[in-house]
Amino acid sequence: MLWPLFVPGGDLYCRVLGWSFFFAALALAWNILALTGSISIGHTAFFGLGAYTSALMSHYTHLSPFICVILGGASGMVYGALWHFVFKPLRGARFALATLASVEIPRVIVDNWEGLTFGSLGLVGIEAFPGVQPGGMDLSPGESLKSQYYLLLFMMASYLLIHHRAVRSRWGWAMRAVREDETAAGSIGVPVHRIRFCAVTFSAALTGICGAVYSHLMGLIEPSLVFSLHLSAMPLVLSIFGGRYQIAGPVLGSLILYPLDQLFFHAWFPSAHAALYGLVIVLTLIHFPSGIGTWLQKKLT
Amino acid sequence: MENLTVDFMWMQLLVNSLALGSFYALIALGFALIFGVTRTFNLAHGELILLGGYISYFLFKGAGIHILWTLPPSMLALLGAALVLHAILRRVREPYELNTLVVTFGLALVLQNAMLVIFTADYRLIGHGRQFFLESLDAYVSDTQITVFLTSLLATLSVHFLMRRTFLGKALRATIQDREAARLAGIHVDHMTLIAFGTGGALIGLAGPLYAQTTYLHPFGGSEPTLLAIIVSIFAGVGRTRGLLLGGWLLGTIESATVFFLGSSWREMVSAMILIGLLLLRPEGLWSERSKPGREA
Repeated sequence: MLWPLFVPGGDLYCRVLGWSFFFAALALAWNILALTGSISIGHTAFFGLGAYTSALMSHYTHLSPFICVILGGASGMVYGALWHFVFKPLRGARFALATLASVEIPRVIVDNWEGLTFGSLGLVGIEAFPGVQPGGMDLSPGESLKSQYYLLLFMMASYLLIHHRAVRSRWGWAMRAVREDETAAGSIGVPVHRIRFCAVTFSAALTGICGAVYSHLMGLIEPSLVFSLHLSAMPLVLSIFGGRYQIAGPVLGSLILYPLDQLFFHAWFPSAHAALYGLVIVLTLIHFPSGIGTWLQKKLT
Repeated sequence: MENLTVDFMWMQLLVNSLALGSFYALIALGFALIFGVTRTFNLAHGELILLGGYISYFLFKGAGIHILWTLPPSMLALLGAALVLHAILRRVREPYELNTLVVTFGLALVLQNAMLVIFTADYRLIGHGRQFFLESLDAYVSDTQITVFLTSLLATLSVHFLMRRTFLGKALRATIQDREAARLAGIHVDHMTLIAFGTGGALIGLAGPLYAQTTYLHPFGGSEPTLLAIIVSIFAGVGRTRGLLLGGWLLGTIESATVFFLGSSWREMVSAMILIGLLLLRPEGLWSERSKPGREA
C-alpha cells in the first residue's frame, strides 16, 4: 500500500489505483444503505449535491476545502433524510424507481439556477486541497499524484472502518434483520424506522463527501458530470460484483473492475469502456448473485 | 383581436398536447405489455426505442426508403431484440422484479455505449415533415403529428382488441392477474411470457421510427422515454390498454403546459416528480389487487 513512496515513476498506476480507492469508498457508502435491503439507483443525487455544495461554498466563502467537504456531506445527508421521509412506504423495485427519479430534481435545479451555480457550463477552478504535514511528510493532494493517492487511501480506509462497524455491530445485526424481514424484526423490538433512517442518512452523507472530494481533486464540475447515470451505476456494480454481504466486498469489486476498465478496456474501446460495468452487472446477477467474494469463499472452503 | 390570439394559443396547446400524449402512449405500449404479463421492469426500454429509431433513420437516409416502410424492418429487429432480452432475463433469480430492474439497468449501459460506438454521438433527426394550418382546428399541425396520432390510436386499439376479444388475450389477462392460478388453469405461462416479449418488442419497434421523427436521437437519450413509459404505465394500471391512451394524453397536457409556462428545461423535473407522486399515491397501478407483491429483498 505504501509502494508509491519507493517506486519511482509509475504515475499511471498511481492514478488508477488511487481512483479505484475512491470508487471503493463510493461503493462502501452505497452498501451501507444496501445492507438494509434497499437497492438505490440514484446515489448520484447525493454525489452531485455534495460536489456542488462544497464547490460553491469554496467559491463564494473561500473556506478551507476540508470544511467545505464536511458541508458537502451534510447536504447529502439532508437529501438522504428527505428520501427517508418521502419514500417511507416504498420497497424493492418501487424504491429503486423513486431513487432514479429523485436525481432529476437537484440536477434540473442546478442546471437552471444559473445565477448561483453557473448552470450547465459548470464550475471551474475549484480550490484544491491545501498541503498537510502528517508526521513530517509533505503532502499536497492538489499538486502531486502521490499525495492524492494517500488521501484517497485514507478515505477508503476510514470508510472501510465505518462499513466494518456497520456490518459487525449491534446496528449491523439490526440492519440485517430489517433486510430479511421487516415485520419480524419490528416484532422482536428492532427500531425499524430508526435503523432505516440512520442507514440512508449515513450512506447519503458519505456519498456527499465523495462528491465533494471529487470536486476539489478535479477542479471542475458540471451537472451532467456529477449527476450522471454512470455514477449511480458505479457503486451498485462494484458492490454487487464484489459481494455486498461482505465487509470488504465493495473494495474487492472496485480493485478488480476499475483497473480492468482503465488499463485495458479504456485502451481497447476508448469511447465505450463504460459498457464493461453494464456487462459485469448482468453476468454477476445471473451467475453469482451474492457477489464474487462470497463465490470465491465457497470455492476455497 | 387580442381575444382571438388567446383562443388560437389554447387550440395550439391542445393540439400539441394531444399529439405529444399519443406519442407517449405509443412509447408506453410495449413497456406496459411486457411489464404486465411478465413483471419485468425493463429499464433498457428507452434504449430499445432509440435502437428502432436509429434503424429507421439509416434506412431512411441511407437507402432512401419511405418512412412508413422503415416500420416493418424496425419492428422485426426489435422483436428479435426483445426475444434476446427474454433469453437473458429468463435466467434471473428471485426477487425477480428488483433483479430485472438491476439487470436491465446494466443492459441499458451496454446498449448506450454500443450505440455510441456504432452510431456516434451526433444528434440525429428524421425531420418533422410538413407543417400546415388547419382552419377547422385553428392551429398548426404537422405531418408527423398526424402520423403519430393515427399510429398510436391504431396500435392501442389493436392491443385492446387482442386483449379483450381473442382467446389469446384472455389467457394473457389471466397471466397478468395471477400467474400461479393461470398455470393451474392449464395456461402455458411460459408461452404467454414469450408472446408478451415478442409483441412488446414489435410495439417498441413501432415507436422507434416515430421517436426519430419527433425527437433528436442520441445514444444517451434513452432514460427519458423509459421514465415516460413507466409513468404512463403506472397511471394506466396493469392490463388496462385504453388507460395508456388516457395517461399519455394527460401527461402530454401536463408537459406541454410545463413547457409553455415554465420553459422546456423544467420538463424533466416535472416528469420525475410525477413519477415519484404516482409511486407513492397509486401503488395499485403497478400491482393489480389480486397479485400481491411478494417480499422483496
